[in-house]
Amino acid sequence: MIRFEEVTKIYPGGQQALNRVNFHLQPGEMAFLTGHSGAGKSTLLKLVAMMERPTSGQVFINGHNLNKITKKQVPFARRDIGMIFQNHRLLMDRSVFNNVALPLIIEGYHLSDIKRRVAGALDKVGLLSKINNMPNTLSGGELQRVGIARAIVNKPPLLLADEPTGNLDPHLSVEILKVFEDLNSVGVAVMIATHDLGLIARMKYHTFTLRQGQMIHDGLSSSDLRESEFEPVI
Amino acid sequence: MSLLFSQRKSHGASNTNPGHRLVMYFIRHLQQALASVGELWRMPISSLLTMAVLGVSLALPTTLHLLMKNGQQLRGSWDSAAEITLFVKEGISDSQTQKVLRRIGLYEQVNDVTYVAAEQALEEFKTLSGFGDALSYLDENPLPSVILVVPSLQYSSPEGARELLEKLQRQPEISFGKLDVTWLEKLTAIVNLLEDAALGLGVLLLLAVALVIANTIRLSILNRREEIEVLKLVGATNDFIRRPFLYTGIWYGLIGGLIAWVCVSLILWWVEGALLDLASQLGSELTLSGLNISEFLILIALSTGLGWLGAYGSVMRHVYEIEPENQL
Repeated sequence: MIRFEEVTKIYPGGQQALNRVNFHLQPGEMAFLTGHSGAGKSTLLKLVAMMERPTSGQVFINGHNLNKITKKQVPFARRDIGMIFQNHRLLMDRSVFNNVALPLIIEGYHLSDIKRRVAGALDKVGLLSKINNMPNTLSGGELQRVGIARAIVNKPPLLLADEPTGNLDPHLSVEILKVFEDLNSVGVAVMIATHDLGLIARMKYHTFTLRQGQMIHDGLSSSDLRESEFEPVI
Repeated sequence: MSLLFSQRKSHGASNTNPGHRLVMYFIRHLQQALASVGELWRMPISSLLTMAVLGVSLALPTTLHLLMKNGQQLRGSWDSAAEITLFVKEGISDSQTQKVLRRIGLYEQVNDVTYVAAEQALEEFKTLSGFGDALSYLDENPLPSVILVVPSLQYSSPEGARELLEKLQRQPEISFGKLDVTWLEKLTAIVNLLEDAALGLGVLLLLAVALVIANTIRLSILNRREEIEVLKLVGATNDFIRRPFLYTGIWYGLIGGLIAWVCVSLILWWVEGALLDLASQLGSELTLSGLNISEFLILIALSTGLGWLGAYGSVMRHVYEIEPENQL
């Protein structure tokens, strides 16, 4: 689903964010991307989302080389990727319905389709009753779930989540992860970047670990990871 | 539609029927046009203020245009300024004079011919000059017979009138002609100068309109930076993002143009009252002509076009600049 081949990213100014990274996320797989701040997690996700381009090497999604996607094609390619952000990035001046409907409006769906799909996506994250609420009336966990609903509303085959539980307490984090697991069970590939090791420890999922821009661990579960790889999470 | 996953279908507008797609295209444009009205309505005071600025800026060149238009009409009524006076040679008989009058009257360059016989001229001179008694001591009439020629509109300009004068002087019955064009030339020069100045001022004010709209749209884009970033993240094209801003610019221009029209109509109404007063004192008829339909449509089209142009300039610079690179 996502394949990196010798990907190096050096930002203007000389900061090397990724150094010859190779990995492969299988279709329909759910995996974690870990590493402490500055290890290159965000850069890796940005390369997948085409917000940045690699300095060298190649990124493939579903066999398509992203280097060959032109600037004009980027918006269309992004419609195949659902993205979830730590700070949810909802538009606070629009209702939950309008936020979740955004990807469908952009693609020009009929209103009847939009209504049906938004209701379906909100139902999946358990927030159908809040469809007409404004975001500022929702809790942090609910906002994050609205963000997930927006990411899945047009049924993308790939989901990227950057620290989706970063602002949530452990109980809510487990709830959010349950949503990802449900989505994964119907065939959506999910990649979750997180430094919340406690979260990963409970689950047996493929884990990619970055340190200083290099992929140092690519294996199942995190049980064999030494805690010393990470700085304490504050 | 799907670029990376060919097996994936999006069920929305990507209907295969091209006619239906075209209809949907217009429906979406209409939706976004109406949505941008809603956007203006969210901040009614500041939107109205901007539109008022545009209206006043557009009202000035429009008023200047009306001034020039009415001035030209007024100048048209001063055609006789280019009246040519022809002096008939001595010893020309009445029948010969009549023939000349008829001949000149047939020229297409000539609008009107009046004959003032020597006796008639003397009578007029007696009554108007106040030398009545003194003149009666003269043995014979010192005044020649005179033909007054009014050139047609195309020949009332200084050059045209002069050309006509030369032609008329070649008539054998005419001793010579006179044309007082220097003041007409001065008037023409002054009017041309004023027209040029008005044109320059008009262009500057129209430029100001485009710049005001460009700046307003720029601020509106920067205010909605967050929204634009999110839209780009969920796959909106630049075209999609810039459309509401272009429509906002068009609305600004359109409503600004309408405000300008209202302003000009008010000015006209105001001036007409004063003019009526002046006309009744002068005992003549003075009317002002306002904007006709085609001029009104040009004003609206121009203001709307400027709105679009200003918005387009801003959008091209700022919407493309905003990229969701800093946060993910």
